[in-house]
Amino acid sequence: MSRRPRIAAVVTEYRKFAHGQHIVDRFLEGYGWNGRHHRPPMDVVSLYVDQRPEGDLTEDRVRRFPQMKLCQTIAEALRLGTDDLAVDGVLLIAEHGQYERNEKDQHLYPRYEFFMQIVDVFRATGKTAAVFNDKHLSWHWDWAREMYDLSLELDFPFMAGSSLPVTWRNPSIDMPLDARIEEAMCVGYGGVDSYDFHGFETLQCMVERRVGGETGVRWLETYAGERFWEAHHQGLWSRELFDACLCRSHSLTPARDGFNHIFPNVDEQKRIATPIAFRYEYADGLPATMILMNGLVQDFNFAARLEGMERPLSTQMYLPMPPKWKTLANFFSPQVNNIEQMFLTGKPTYPVERTLLTTGLVAAGVDSLRQDGTRLQTPHLEISYPAPSASTFWNS
Amino acid sequence: MTVRLAVIATVYRHLSHAQHFADRFLVGYPYEGAWHHPDVEVVSLYVDQHPVGDQSADRAREFGFGIYPTIAQALRAGGERLAVDGVLIIAEHGDYEINELGQMLYPRFEWFQECVAVFEAEGRAVPVYNDKHLSYDYAKAKKMVDDAERLNFPLMAGSSVPVTWRLPDLELEHGCVIEEALVIGYGGSDPMDYHALEGLQCMIERRRGGETGVAAVQMLEGAAVWSALEEGRWSRQLLEAALSRGDSPQGLTVEDGRSQDLLGSGELQRLVEQPTAYLIEFRDGLQATLLMLNFAIADYCFAARLQGSQAPVSCQFFLTQAPNVNYSASLVAKIDEMFQTGRAPIPARRTLAVSGYLEACLKSHHQGGVRLATPHLSATYMAPLESHHARQ
Repeated sequence: MSRRPRIAAVVTEYRKFAHGQHIVDRFLEGYGWNGRHHRPPMDVVSLYVDQRPEGDLTEDRVRRFPQMKLCQTIAEALRLGTDDLAVDGVLLIAEHGQYERNEKDQHLYPRYEFFMQIVDVFRATGKTAAVFNDKHLSWHWDWAREMYDLSLELDFPFMAGSSLPVTWRNPSIDMPLDARIEEAMCVGYGGVDSYDFHGFETLQCMVERRVGGETGVRWLETYAGERFWEAHHQGLWSRELFDACLCRSHSLTPARDGFNHIFPNVDEQKRIATPIAFRYEYADGLPATMILMNGLVQDFNFAARLEGMERPLSTQMYLPMPPKWKTLANFFSPQVNNIEQMFLTGKPTYPVERTLLTTGLVAAGVDSLRQDGTRLQTPHLEISYPAPSASTFWNS
Repeated sequence: MTVRLAVIATVYRHLSHAQHFADRFLVGYPYEGAWHHPDVEVVSLYVDQHPVGDQSADRAREFGFGIYPTIAQALRAGGERLAVDGVLIIAEHGDYEINELGQMLYPRFEWFQECVAVFEAEGRAVPVYNDKHLSYDYAKAKKMVDDAERLNFPLMAGSSVPVTWRLPDLELEHGCVIEEALVIGYGGSDPMDYHALEGLQCMIERRRGGETGVAAVQMLEGAAVWSALEEGRWSRQLLEAALSRGDSPQGLTVEDGRSQDLLGSGELQRLVEQPTAYLIEFRDGLQATLLMLNFAIADYCFAARLQGSQAPVSCQFFLTQAPNVNYSASLVAKIDEMFQTGRAPIPARRTLAVSGYLEACLKSHHQGGVRLATPHLSATYMAPLESHHARQ
């Protein structure tokens, strides 16, 4: 592509700390990258904003960046008053905003609906553009699968997911390619149908590098309340990996007054935390557990036992999270940098199949929790794909 | 063999340095993905002040060590002979006087001398860790290092900035040629400028020829800081690189979340009310600068231009969040290493150098920002070959 790519931004909201603000702002304002203030070599030429709550920044951004035209519909943002597709890339950011919740308490963010409007333009014009979908594909599995299938059918570059796979790691390590993993775990925090997705992505971006590549997930079950502690006590998942995750955390709640950092025993964990575990098995037999350890940690930590290794491999996927400790959510910088590469080259830097799988895990987790933790067979999640051999997390 | 440890502290209350450090020897700390219980037994404590919230008696009762009224008695654990294998001097926090340079007169030197007196009387010395700088006064700091070298005991000191995680995990090649270096920081003097300078020194000491000492310093304030930029006395390129590593820009980022080119937009100059620049001319010709940029940033970041490469190298010294402050675990791991091996992994001469040029900068500031020649800052040393920051 000889000219600068033209990008349409389709967002639910554009206010401080909404994902729309974090991501689109980086395209407009630039961001710190490799020792420079980097300005993406592309132009956001159109913006569709679905909701304009108090604190909405749309007017300010459109005024300061007049090349970005505010559009009333998604189709207009893609066509820019022409009969043609007028952009080379689309940012679909449907996180945050006032949307209904269904009977399963899923937040009905309109990712699928927005995506279909984008695809309608692609079909009508006979042209396509690269699409980045922030976070999971859809709260509804069938719709998520349809989004994926349409990207294959219409043959356009499609990337999605969380910033967890691409942010800093402490230590700065990747899963060795073709590792033989015996068990994997993520200990994170946050809510169901929300940050659980980040936990699944944290785990998935590491285990997908195992020997044989990704094979998909055969079943998933969940543990909350007393059932969690009983399973924890029984050793249903590895205590060694769990402890390794807590030892990678920077936010371990002190179990005793007057101490700033002390390792909690199980009784203390029980007093402090309100956990939920999502335990699942991959088609090649790999057991994995993603635990939301609310109350005890406020970060995402990964650990795995590898064949032949004496100690677990472990790291923290570090999020510089405003507003308490930092002012700028710079974990969006490596995500935007990866999106830029897709917009420039037409090739996603990591596979959307990862996010298709984690999207399905989120939905299966919601269903299992509603059925008292029942193990759900997940034949629809037997999704296989090869991991990219290059590391895509932030290490430079 | 279990190391018996004496803790000498100004205050022992929640979130004081003494609590952070001594507690890690009592309850362990995370190290390379596991909770590590050091093979150390705290046997005695001397604590100088007992403010509201004093925890010393509670800790002594729970962990079974004695509190002694003098440092000498703590080192002898109430007996006749030196009864410990290591000493932790944590003289940070507490109420002490402030001198005309704005330095808090923590009694690090005086306490160290009390330890030295015991060592001399016993004819045996044990490893000592001294938290933060050696002394506010270079002559005193120098005597501390000289005493340790004379009596041949391991001495380690310093900040946790050199040993914490780096974003990215930058370590300069040992023997590299550095053309210019810069560090940015925030906070007050002299606690926080000291931390930033330790960050600077742990990076530049790896240059070819090692540390050669400081020829002159100058501390500028206000508009003179920006004039010095115009005069080419510090590098705009390096400031951009250091700023690019920050996660805490102030101003418009706080207002609406946006990322900012603080330097390019001019917001930096608008936000920083009273910038200060610490200009340090090393004897081998290296020019290094600390910029304290209060109200514009809240991170510690480093940048350097290396010979033969256009783009600078840069990183953030990642000070992890409270209350865990995991960076103190990184430092305690190094202190424990000294106790276990009898060898200080980090040279005390690093902290001597920083103690010296920080004091010289404060004197320059006190004299209206004049350039001060520093013939006394002649201490040289070689950086350790291996890395000692958190990276595993």
